[in-house]
Amino acid sequence: MNKVIISAKKVERIYSNGIVRTYALKDVSVDIQQGEFVAIMGPSGSGKSTLLHQLGLLDNPTNGSILIDGEDVVQLSDDTRTRFRLEKLGYVFQSYNLIPELTALENVYITPMARGMPEEEYTAKAKEMLTKVGLGDRMDHYPSELSGGQQQRVSIARALVNKPKILFADEPTANLDSDSSADTIRLFRQLNKEIGQTIVMVTHEENEGKQADRIIWIKDGIIDKAKK
Amino acid sequence: MNKNDLKVISFLAYKNISKSKATFFVIVAVMAMSFLSITFFAAIIDGLGYEFEEGMIRGLTGHLMIEPSADSRYLENADSMVGKIKKIPEVVGVSKRVEASAVATHKTIQLGVPIFFVNPDDERQVSRFSESVVLGDYLSRKDNAELIIGTDLVEAYTREDDAKKSLDVTVGDTIQLSFSNGMVKEYKIKGIFKTGSQFSDNNILINYDDYEDIFHESDVASAILVALPSRGREEEFTRKIIDLGVTDQINPWQSKMGKVKQFIGSLQITNTITGVVGLFTAFATIYIIIFINVTNKRKQIGILKAVGIKKEIILGSYVLQSLIYGVAGVVIGIIAMQGLIALLTVYPLSMPIGNVVPILTTNRLVTTAITLILASIVAWFFPSKKAANDNILEAIFGG
Ligand SMILES: Nc1ncnc2c1ncn2[C@@H]1O[C@H](COP(=O)(O)OP(=O)(O)OP(=O)(O)O)[C@@H](O)[C@H]1O
Ligand SMILES: [Mg+2]
Repeated sequence: MNKVIISAKKVERIYSNGIVRTYALKDVSVDIQQGEFVAIMGPSGSGKSTLLHQLGLLDNPTNGSILIDGEDVVQLSDDTRTRFRLEKLGYVFQSYNLIPELTALENVYITPMARGMPEEEYTAKAKEMLTKVGLGDRMDHYPSELSGGQQQRVSIARALVNKPKILFADEPTANLDSDSSADTIRLFRQLNKEIGQTIVMVTHEENEGKQADRIIWIKDGIIDKAKK
Repeated sequence: MNKNDLKVISFLAYKNISKSKATFFVIVAVMAMSFLSITFFAAIIDGLGYEFEEGMIRGLTGHLMIEPSADSRYLENADSMVGKIKKIPEVVGVSKRVEASAVATHKTIQLGVPIFFVNPDDERQVSRFSESVVLGDYLSRKDNAELIIGTDLVEAYTREDDAKKSLDVTVGDTIQLSFSNGMVKEYKIKGIFKTGSQFSDNNILINYDDYEDIFHESDVASAILVALPSRGREEEFTRKIIDLGVTDQINPWQSKMGKVKQFIGSLQITNTITGVVGLFTAFATIYIIIFINVTNKRKQIGILKAVGIKKEIILGSYVLQSLIYGVAGVVIGIIAMQGLIALLTVYPLSMPIGNVVPILTTNRLVTTAITLILASIVAWFFPSKKAANDNILEAIFGG
């Protein structure tokens, strides 16, 4: 239970728009254990999403190193990072980000399909995941035919269908009503308990953060050590 | 790229197309219309050129025109030559002609006119005169002192602003012809013909027997016209005629085109220019539509990348979509075009030079089809490649 799965050292991310340089992350070092449920919290604009994107291989830091599962992911080529995301990582975004042209079921099975899983297997897996998040009866609906909470559950099913090593979630409840929010966090908690799912979740809600094993506080692009 | 990648590519392409049928139909319709607009005009021009040449072939030259060598005025033993050539398998028709000129007099008008002395039956297989009679009748085997006259020489058929002189005659009227040897003879107008070709419609046709009466020469011809089953076989039949021992000049129709060739040449230049302009316009239209379409998919592309779908698959699915759009557009364009051509074959466009049927050459069909499909692929490829290379976060969150 105490294997370090993410180890970020002195991560820096500077956005340069012409002459304006924004230090979104200045110097962040964090270790996350396998099986840990971590919440990232902090004021708006503090760099939470930026940190999640670096750890989740959706962006590249301007400086620093990130090891995931022992592999230096910053150095990897674009294609290798893409494969890494497909095989080891799962994402839940605030705005769901489902593909509107695909049904709930297809949105979930597109990644196992891309991994080369046989059709019966990925269909069964996707159905199982959707049933688990309570959408067994909505599998053939397109995202536009689903409520926000239902879409978020589809995106959770998509994130988990490949049994990722790490699940990243950026304010997964921000667009949901309080019931759906509570459901989502309960589901995360449950996954973490039952299968030891490693979860890194950005949130604004203190009560959500409290349900995680640990809160990493960010302020102005650095770890806010004053909070505990 | 393996088999599974292809599966994902087809799956994504299929879903994208089937989920936005309206877009699909719009793009396919634009492609089909582009195909039509490029090929239709060209086909009309080609048909026009073809008809122009056909007017020459079916009026003045035949597919092959046998003429006396430079040092003699006439072909001798014309009848036996005609007979022998007729026996060559597949030859459609052979007809000897003597060209002459005469001064036609009617009331106060005098007019120099070209005359063809022809064998009416042989002429049926070679030229259009027999089927182009608009008033009265065609010459018959035994006609004597009767002629048929082209509409360009008849006042009732010429345009008022036409500066050329014409005769105020109709079927049944008599005109007087004075020949170069001083012979003067009255002829009754048996029929008036309009082939539509300016090369033929200013002629008078008279039975060959009359030529013998007037000039006291027989079995001569100023040319023998040979009609072949189709264009493009001139050389083959020239050889066969030479094999018969014919030593006179055998000229394919192409060598007789002169001005027509220049005219058609300039039509073809126009055609090429409009074709290129049309292709550019089509390309631009298709590019813009597809560009907007792919730009709308930027987020989708970003999400696919974020969840780990590789670039080759994303690009592949867009190239496949472009192929499907391109091929569907071109296929529908071809079907519509063939329909139009079929329609215009039954109801040809009646143009001053004759009935014009659009001609879509395989060459043009293939060139246009390939260009449009390529245009479609290029139009998809660059925007989707750009999107696939875009920063994921910008693509998803719209930077
Ligand atoms: N693409 C970008 N270009 C320039 N600056 C950016 C970009 N993305 C983020 N930033 C800046 O980086 C800083 C951190 O942004 P980030 O999105 O990580 O904040 P956050 O903590 O997630 O905020 P919120 O709670 O509002 O989501 C902000 O100042 C933001 O303006
Ligand atoms: Mg954020």
